[in-house]
Amino acid sequence: MQRVLALVKMELLKLIREPAILFLNMLFPAVLTLVFGLAFGGLGGGDPAMFEMMAPGLFAYACIFLVMTVAMSFSEDRESGILKRINVTPTTSSQFIGSHIITNMVITVIQLVIIFLLSLLMGFRPNIDVFGFIMAFIFMLLLSLCSVGLGLITATISKSSGAAVGLSFIFILPQMFFGTFLPLTEVTRVIAVFLPSYYVTDAITTIFNGLSPFAIEILMQLGIIALMSIVIVILGIFLFKKYGKI
Amino acid sequence: MVEIKKEKPEDIFDPDGASAIIIKDLVKQFDDVTAVNGINLEIKRGELFGLLGPNGAGKTTTINMLVGLLNPTEGTAIVGGYDVKRDLSKIKEMIGVCPQEASVFKFLKGRENVELFGNLFEMDKKVLKERADRFFETSGLKEASNRKAKAYSGGMIRQLNLIIALINDPKIVFLDEPTVGMDPRARRKTWEFIGSLKDQDKTIILTTHYIEEAEALCDRVGIIDYGELIALGSPKELMKKHDAKNLEEVFMKITGRRILEGV
Repeated sequence: MQRVLALVKMELLKLIREPAILFLNMLFPAVLTLVFGLAFGGLGGGDPAMFEMMAPGLFAYACIFLVMTVAMSFSEDRESGILKRINVTPTTSSQFIGSHIITNMVITVIQLVIIFLLSLLMGFRPNIDVFGFIMAFIFMLLLSLCSVGLGLITATISKSSGAAVGLSFIFILPQMFFGTFLPLTEVTRVIAVFLPSYYVTDAITTIFNGLSPFAIEILMQLGIIALMSIVIVILGIFLFKKYGKI
Repeated sequence: MVEIKKEKPEDIFDPDGASAIIIKDLVKQFDDVTAVNGINLEIKRGELFGLLGPNGAGKTTTINMLVGLLNPTEGTAIVGGYDVKRDLSKIKEMIGVCPQEASVFKFLKGRENVELFGNLFEMDKKVLKERADRFFETSGLKEASNRKAKAYSGGMIRQLNLIIALINDPKIVFLDEPTVGMDPRARRKTWEFIGSLKDQDKTIILTTHYIEEAEALCDRVGIIDYGELIALGSPKELMKKHDAKNLEEVFMKITGRRILEGV
């Protein structure tokens, strides 16, 4: 545990001390929420119902962008030789990846609090109880887990941290356009069913509309996203260890 | 002292437990390129051993196999009584590695870097602090220890690299080009520091491009070229054998002859 905690502390210090990481993880979701609030919500004189419809997608957006920061982080650590150096200590792969998962869970929690508070300021009033909140929260954590796995896959195929930023959009863009708040057509729905954000946004929208978080369709979506996150993380770890050129 | 494990099968290579490292027919192949070609070598406990060779000779590849970063294609090596193919986790607990690259977190302070790696070895907090304090004091980095590593000069980063490699009090230390980028004064100071490790009964494996560094520090040196160990002995023995004034002349004679002979 001492190893995992030390690595989590280091990653959180990176978040605070590296301006680019801080912007992507904290300021970007906040700015995005404000922009959407101004453009579509009551803050800009628009219809608050429109913003409420988009709010679940905003929550998902923040988690989706973790793909980029995770890919950047692993690529930078590989470039600087840090990964090799950690690899010659008794730290195991599961401890190292586990520390990244915990760090990104913490980041997700902070992001969600920021977006939720800003959304409340803009008149967002979801029709849910405490169980609904918890369930929505679990969905977001699972989406951030998927993002860690996708970030690892991105780092595997990236030759540099610069390339990792660009290549991360392979996973970010489809989730943004087909998996969050843009209306789906028959064609885009076929793509969306393979995207984690589709199930998360859909489930959270349903929960925010007042359906019981323990309804069968929510639990089924929870099962799908849980399975997806496990598969993606395991695949990410496997690919990075085998082809990541540590 | 390196722990002796008589019950282990690899002890047939080292029945008296006097060796820190035993390399047996070690080969590393990358596609069509043979980076390391059948090296056999024994390094005694408490020895300061220099691994020399031109660029791309196979030094770092050999070290990388000894510390578990690469799997041998053929052969094996016993490090501190443990086989690199089977007991890597045990080996990693007893070694310290100072890599060529400036492998530190630039956004962390010098002290935070050292504490992070100490924690990765699950060191006791008090012991970790004491050792870190002592190393920062002796290396001259004490004042800079609370500054972020991104504000360090190249030489200071190399010193921090070295402190991290030693923080866990390793029995066997691998130093890969530890003085690259240091000014002559810092290099001399680092030599003294490396020399003092011998007094602590540590086994040190040093790779370097500075031949005079190997001559000044090492008990024995091995010269690698094209993945093969082509010379082995103390600097004095090698100078006598090759009728040379210094180790650099030995190095040039041996590696230059191989180039002329087209080996």
